[in-house]
Amino acid sequence: MTTTLELCDVRKRYGDFQAVDGVNLAVSPGTVFGLLGPNGAGKTTSIRMVMDIIAPDSGEVRFWGRARQKGDLDRIGYLPEERGLYRKMTVVDHLVFLAELHGLKRRAALPRIQSWLERLELAAWAKKKVEELSKGMQQKIQLVGTVLHEPEIIILDEPFSGLDPINQTLFKDAFAEFKRQGKTLLFSTHVMEQAEKLCDEICLISRGRVVLAGKLAEIKQRLGGNSYRLVAEGDLAGLGSLPGITQVLVRDGDNGSGARTAKLLLAQDADGPDVLRRVVERVRVREFRSEEPELEEIFIKAVRDADR
Amino acid sequence: MQTGKVRVILQREYISRVKTKGFWIGTVILPLFMVAVTVLPSVLLSRSRANLRLVVVDATGKMAPSLVERLRGVEKPAAENASTAARRALEGERRRPAPRADFVVEAEPVAGDRAAQRQALDERVMSEKIDAWVWIDEDGLAKNTVEYHGQNVSNIVVQERLSRALTEVVRDARLRAAGYDADKVAALDQEIELTTLRVTKEGGKAEQGVAGFFFAYALFLTLYMVLMIYGQQVMNGVLEEKSSRVVEVVISTVTPFEMMLGKLAGIGLVAFTQIGIWLGTAAILTAPQIVIGLAALPAGIPSVTPAIILHFLGFFVLGFFLYATFFAAIGSAFNDIREAQQAATSATFFLVAPVILMFLIVNDPDSPVAILTSLFPPFTPLLMMLRIVVKTPPVWQIALGYALTAAAAVGMVWVCAKIYRTGILMYGKKPTFKELWQWVRYA
Repeated sequence: MTTTLELCDVRKRYGDFQAVDGVNLAVSPGTVFGLLGPNGAGKTTSIRMVMDIIAPDSGEVRFWGRARQKGDLDRIGYLPEERGLYRKMTVVDHLVFLAELHGLKRRAALPRIQSWLERLELAAWAKKKVEELSKGMQQKIQLVGTVLHEPEIIILDEPFSGLDPINQTLFKDAFAEFKRQGKTLLFSTHVMEQAEKLCDEICLISRGRVVLAGKLAEIKQRLGGNSYRLVAEGDLAGLGSLPGITQVLVRDGDNGSGARTAKLLLAQDADGPDVLRRVVERVRVREFRSEEPELEEIFIKAVRDADR
Repeated sequence: MQTGKVRVILQREYISRVKTKGFWIGTVILPLFMVAVTVLPSVLLSRSRANLRLVVVDATGKMAPSLVERLRGVEKPAAENASTAARRALEGERRRPAPRADFVVEAEPVAGDRAAQRQALDERVMSEKIDAWVWIDEDGLAKNTVEYHGQNVSNIVVQERLSRALTEVVRDARLRAAGYDADKVAALDQEIELTTLRVTKEGGKAEQGVAGFFFAYALFLTLYMVLMIYGQQVMNGVLEEKSSRVVEVVISTVTPFEMMLGKLAGIGLVAFTQIGIWLGTAAILTAPQIVIGLAALPAGIPSVTPAIILHFLGFFVLGFFLYATFFAAIGSAFNDIREAQQAATSATFFLVAPVILMFLIVNDPDSPVAILTSLFPPFTPLLMMLRIVVKTPPVWQIALGYALTAAAAVGMVWVCAKIYRTGILMYGKKPTFKELWQWVRYA
């Protein structure tokens, strides 16, 4: 199966700072691919190299199993992290402009714009100037601009940043629909919760390197199984010093009964029951049960391991 | 080069600007402004009427009566030569009228104590009972001077009128003393005016010096202002794209060079449209057939010929690419308008320098200074244009001017495209000139 998008050993250096240090990743057709990583990991730089906004120092970006060709970028929709619109243009004019930039004719663009604006409940704003719109509306307009030319690949850099929960849901619904239409989505985020809900595959990068990549379900299976939910009274945070426990994540507040909830991350070879025996000696346990790890834990652990 | 997408960017720039009210207001206001700064001050000065309460102290005892008579406006008809008067009548007073001033004159005899009298007069000036006083005595006249005392000594119109009246009165008195008939002499002694005819390839054509100068000045100022205004617009446009972060979406579909080109061409066309409207209007208004019918226009205004329009547009295009690319590069390199404005001052210098050189060149358009400065590419658009209007230079100089400026413009586009490419996505720190140079070298 050919990949839709591929980065082959891509590197980029800014002065003394190695922003991207040999990233390899492959996105299969029709997947929702999450590019994850902490701030400054090289996500935006990688995406900019995909979009040919900056050239890699070395390595190659491949589309549809071959080297980049002229016109490829017209088959891609891109929502940059740094978003903005011409403030003085009307919504319709601006969307026509964005569509035309992607090679779409005005006549073809207008009906699509109309239907998108209606769908996002922005039809009344069509003739208004961009500067009259709220920030959330502007973000929606921007998303419309990204997909007007019906791209096969949609690349979104931090699509949820600055969105309120209602608009986040709206965006997620739109993404789900793009997926149903068979489009390939690649988006970057540092909010694991979103990635967990949306992604089929992820690639976790830190300090310009890939530290973890693959199908989300497989990763969870591979790295999961050694995480426990604990409800207990006592010094939960202090449990971190027990052998076999690598990390204790204590949730805020108690549930009214004096007990608090924590998540225990166990070492790969640690045995749950063994650990429980030691835990019981330290705190009053109400509940102790195996739990599938959240992506966030995997993320934190992988980043920490990579830094060692 | 994706010409289709460059056109999309060009269109957006053009339409979004021409559609604004500001564009049309500017199109109307700018010519009015031009008239205001070129013609209005002299018209206002010559039309203004000043009032002056004046005391004349005549120590010679011979001048006061005729001076007072003259200043009160009962000028002798002989003061104006008959043929000039006739011509003026024919032209319907098209010449600039002589400065006018109304005097309230009062002659005062010399008192015994001159010092006390002078002091008393000064006090009257200070208490604003009178505006000024003049003191005529033999010592002063021997040196051809008359003292004028007043709080305001910058009222040149009044002083010119007073000085002219004094000249005539003293001259008449001296002529009479020498045994001549003053009226006869006045009739014979007339100033000769130049009727200027500009010699051009199209043949000699009557043209008034002053009007010709204003015409050159107006064209020159228009070119200067258009380059300045549209250069700034390019800079502000780029800054807006950068600070509003629109740029990244655009840059993901076209190269930075294509984006810059589309922008420059779009804004350039806006300017072109505006100039077209102005020159078209000017050409129609100054066409010989129409000028005759428009008595309101000063006589002898040169027509805007097709050659002048072509040169103007040619130099505008070259000047625009020379300066606007620079403004684009500055807009891309800096993050806010204040930083950019500082850097833009250097370009402004090259635009303002020709304004300073202008009078030098109008006076002697073939001097070595004029030739050299008009061939210096940053100055060429403005100065060569000026020379063409004032006195058409040899063809080789015009051609060389075009060639050098075109070469400079190409070089400028090349350098600035590199700065633009790096700068447009560079946020944060204000770059140093050393860094800018690195962008040019390594981009």
